[in-house]
Amino acid sequence: MPDTTFLDSTELVLNMGPQHPSTHGVLRVILKLDGEKILGTDCVIGYLHRGVEKIAEARTYAQFNPYVDRLDYVAAVSNGLGYCLAVEKLLNVEASPRAQAVRVILTELNRIASHVLWLGTHALDIGAITPVFYCFREREEILKIFEQYCGARLTTHAFRIGGLQYEIYDGFEQEVKAFCDMFLPKVDEYEELLTNNRIWMSRLKNVGILNAEDCKRYGVTGPVLRAAGVHWDLRKAQPYSGYEKYDFEIPTRDNGDTYDRYSVRMQEMRQAVRIIRQAVEGIPEGPIMAKVPKVIKPPVGEAYVSIEAPKGELGYYIVSDGSTQPYRVRVRPPSFVNLQALDRMVRGALIADVVAVIGTLDIVLGEVDR
Amino acid sequence: MRRLLKKIFLVDLAQGLWVTFRNQNPKYIYTEQYPAERPKVAERYRGAPRLNLNPETGETLCMACNMCALACPESLIVVSSQRNEKTKKKELVTFTFDTSRCMFCGLCEDSCPTDALELSQDFELASYTREGQIWDRKMLEEGPKPTRYKC
Amino acid sequence: MPDEKPVPPKPAPKPPAVMAATPWKSDLTRELNDRFGEGVCQCLSYVGQNFIVVGPQMVVALISYLKVGPGFDYLVDITAVDWPQRAERFELVYILYSFARNERVRIKTQIADGYRPASVVAVHLTANWLEREVFDMFGIEFTGHPDLRRILMPDEWQGHPLRKDYSILQQDQRWVQENLDGASGQ
Repeated sequence: MPDTTFLDSTELVLNMGPQHPSTHGVLRVILKLDGEKILGTDCVIGYLHRGVEKIAEARTYAQFNPYVDRLDYVAAVSNGLGYCLAVEKLLNVEASPRAQAVRVILTELNRIASHVLWLGTHALDIGAITPVFYCFREREEILKIFEQYCGARLTTHAFRIGGLQYEIYDGFEQEVKAFCDMFLPKVDEYEELLTNNRIWMSRLKNVGILNAEDCKRYGVTGPVLRAAGVHWDLRKAQPYSGYEKYDFEIPTRDNGDTYDRYSVRMQEMRQAVRIIRQAVEGIPEGPIMAKVPKVIKPPVGEAYVSIEAPKGELGYYIVSDGSTQPYRVRVRPPSFVNLQALDRMVRGALIADVVAVIGTLDIVLGEVDR
Repeated sequence: MRRLLKKIFLVDLAQGLWVTFRNQNPKYIYTEQYPAERPKVAERYRGAPRLNLNPETGETLCMACNMCALACPESLIVVSSQRNEKTKKKELVTFTFDTSRCMFCGLCEDSCPTDALELSQDFELASYTREGQIWDRKMLEEGPKPTRYKC
Repeated sequence: MPDEKPVPPKPAPKPPAVMAATPWKSDLTRELNDRFGEGVCQCLSYVGQNFIVVGPQMVVALISYLKVGPGFDYLVDITAVDWPQRAERFELVYILYSFARNERVRIKTQIADGYRPASVVAVHLTANWLEREVFDMFGIEFTGHPDLRRILMPDEWQGHPLRKDYSILQQDQRWVQENLDGASGQ
């Protein structure tokens, strides 16, 4: 087998720098190329490092809540849910059923919003410019619901430790139901645009294959793991916040390539609508805030709580030393751990595939760098 | 055979194009013509801070309890007060709010016992200087006055 | 000399509050005791979450055994906590999860400043970036790591931010001056 580098071609090091339209944030990837084929990659991150874990040590538990939204800024509600669940675990309280139902509705709406933005930007990176407009149009409807509920569209600060701050507004249920009815045909529209499209299929099939074995070795979770065939979702395996009451499926596929991840996320959007419909049918009456002291001082101890965020397993490890400020808050970001697998997925592929793979991993640099 | 015909005549691409053409209908225009039409924000929108006045007496509702300053994660509220000798109650003197560092989280309005401090629906907070972003009591009570365009 | 009132002796300082952990016994703990001997792994539990406290030399052996035997094949997280008052200042925490058993377990060790624990990259590939981050934030060097360098902070940064003696307002003045053209905005 002749050595392909024999013909006077040397290795080229190309910098896909922090400012790049396709890297979903400030991600720098140093590519070692042989022509256009990739021999190796090296990700340089830290351009968006804001020291959130250090800030946590100087704020009280309730004061840290708004900072947590800024981690995965695309889907802010899940971050808040994870943090509140972790502190509630330390305090040994559980939110009331009404609070849990509203939390589930908002978190699933947030999942749809995150996947919809993922679809728009991923399609844009591949070259399909139309879906991004339609996706942002749908995302606008969800953000309107968030705005009417908690006052902000993106950095929602929707949940408080122990439950909710705001009662749901009049018309919440009707608007959510109207959104669900409006949204399912739109998912069909996206599928019509993309799923059978020959350009889409040839760009995405067999690109960035990560099989189940590699996923577990690299610790990859979320839709990437499900597309590789592992039937696992934290909402079913270790349910939290009342998810065991709802009936939904976990979509899985076999190949673990980019096309499968696309299908898994489209199906997850449909399943999320299913969960929302069930949750909004019967929101139980009752208080929205559990009995939590005004000054939150959990006993000495530590807890690790993780949830199924739209990007993967988002975990919070909080160590408390008995005072009003947490001693250590560690955020286990799904995007950080998923990004490690980038190197494995693009060996031997072309540069355009790097763009597709970064898109399909669904990374948000706010979470990667914290 | 059908598959070959579909492939030659670009049926899947035509389906996608048909979706795009269907959405060209002018009734689907979503663009808001700002600044002629300002968006209607929700009632609970967390925008510019405002110190409310009592509608009947015109005096400030703030009782200088300092709860908002303690609740703020960024510690950007500074409240100073003096004790009124006649009524033996604290009275507000100055109230400084630094909107350049504010993240509009709403913890201050949640903690205010008299609903004096409120995050209103104003979202136009731009100013030309960093110092202009630090609001004193007068600015907080009147609110930012963005330029209105006659259209 | 003015009369001085006798100063009452200072009350003895309260011992720092300790986590109210309860012992944890299960099949897994019996297996571990059989394999490693009694008393090597302290198995405890707090708010329903189980954790194992071991000495730092045992960590790699324990994690490899847990991967092969009971099937804890997914390393969720590696992190550290800085307790400056203790002699063994850092507490390394490894969180493992088993898909088959649907169980999560934490492994904690205490290491002193300057101790260089062994890396678990050979057992779980996830540890690559996670250990780089622990090195970056705390200064704990892992032996056997293929590529130990800073990941979140710039490469030339001095200091390890998440240590308790690194104040939140501190910056590496030299780096800021060189790279950001002058004084910082603080």
